[in-house]
Amino acid sequence: MASDKTRWIEISGVSHAFSHGVPAIQDISITVGKGEFVSIVGPSGCGKTTVLNLLAGLIDVQGGVVHLASRKPRAGRHDVAYMLARDCLFPWRTAIENAMLGAELRNMSRQKRLSRAKAFLKRVGLEGFENQYPKALSHGMRQRVALARTFSLDSEILLMDEPFGALDAQTKLQLEDLLLNLWNDERRTVVFITHDLAEAVILSDRVIVMSARPGRIMDDIPIPLRRPRSVRELQKDPAYHELYAKVWERLEAGLVRSMVANQGSATPT
Amino acid sequence: MKQHWNIRIAQLGVVVVFLLLWQWASVAKLIDPLFIGRPTGIFRYLFRGVFVDGVIIKEALWTIGETLAAFILGSVTGIGFGLLFVVYPLSERFLDPILAGLNALPRVALAPLFLLWFGLGIGSKIALGFSLTFFIVLSNTVAGARSVDPDWLTLSRTLGASRSTIFFKVVLISAVPTIFSGLKLGLIYALLGVIAGEIIASQHGLGQLLTYLAGTFDTNGVFAVLMFLGVLGVGLTKLMDALERYLLKWQ
Repeated sequence: MASDKTRWIEISGVSHAFSHGVPAIQDISITVGKGEFVSIVGPSGCGKTTVLNLLAGLIDVQGGVVHLASRKPRAGRHDVAYMLARDCLFPWRTAIENAMLGAELRNMSRQKRLSRAKAFLKRVGLEGFENQYPKALSHGMRQRVALARTFSLDSEILLMDEPFGALDAQTKLQLEDLLLNLWNDERRTVVFITHDLAEAVILSDRVIVMSARPGRIMDDIPIPLRRPRSVRELQKDPAYHELYAKVWERLEAGLVRSMVANQGSATPT
Repeated sequence: MKQHWNIRIAQLGVVVVFLLLWQWASVAKLIDPLFIGRPTGIFRYLFRGVFVDGVIIKEALWTIGETLAAFILGSVTGIGFGLLFVVYPLSERFLDPILAGLNALPRVALAPLFLLWFGLGIGSKIALGFSLTFFIVLSNTVAGARSVDPDWLTLSRTLGASRSTIFFKVVLISAVPTIFSGLKLGLIYALLGVIAGEIIASQHGLGQLLTYLAGTFDTNGVFAVLMFLGVLGVGLTKLMDALERYLLKWQ
């Protein structure tokens, strides 16, 4: 099992309902290979974040099987790192102290976490800002620190919940490029939640499209664009635009389907 | 910068004009000097009390000592109970009605009881100051620790932090600004409680001095002590502000 690198992350027949009984996701099955970058897109409220929280061990699995590297999900696993839409920097810590946070909570030696955090801050373009408090940093810079914090953890699996969702368009493009570079250097396994289709196509090896609530999988679209990629060059690539149109079409089909399905039961709003 | 000085000079001008009018009203007996004293007399008393016989300083040391004792006891127990409530919410549900009742009580009304229990000395003054500081610091501690950003907790959990680590490294630190504003208010209220206690019955302290001076119709002395108290209050606030700026430089 452990050697099966094509099923490094495995979600099989998973359904989940909120505590008040409303189904969030229905019969979801996803596999992610080791070192693969997979995005999950879907309309808001489709349960994308529920899928990620199941993987992160933040909510309990109700039905079906969830495995990461052959083990059950658990919050705080050292081989899993989690990143949120908000940068979640602690305002009382400087940039470097924030970048070290994860390693510190995981008892990495001070020497090692300091040098790693320093190296990653440099790679995200924040050299010279190590001793600044978050209040002095822009949104984009703060999310760069969060990227450094996530990558300096050394975790093989990265779970990212719309990490660039709160940024303006231009900053977002810069950070997408940065993530492409970071990921290209050390291919980690990434599950990336987003509602931005362009972002999904740019970053991923595969894009999984979910339907509106209760979330089901509409399609699993491979993105065979050559790597290393850059945001700007992809804009000129007709293959990129074709893939974008395809993802968009499948997403729309999911919306229509759920609208038709809801017409019988729910009152139109 | 220039504007800043202009404002300062204008403020000083208003004060000087006010004092001159006061002096004139008193000397010309427009208002009975028994009621309003006169600025020259006030400053004479203030100067003597601070620099010559030191009567104000001597009494102030009692007041400051009592205030600090009330403040330290009140904040330590206030923070302690606050954290207890946050960690064990059941304890809050149990104690809340009792504490809410005590807090609603006008604290000065407790003074006769405190005198009976703790005597005429510093004990009853500290108790009165404590009874004010404690509740302020308690409610700020609870509010601060409860308002921690839930995303910080999620992140810490995914990073593998234990409950106690999360408590000390996230919840407690994030509550410091709110706790600190409680401490600033608590210090001023400790002073208030102590002065009130001294006014009611005491052998020492600025409150006792005030009652004595008022009782002997020394209006200049009363105003002098009030001015000193004003400066003392401002000084304590400034001190806490400086400490806050140092401790919370990340804000």
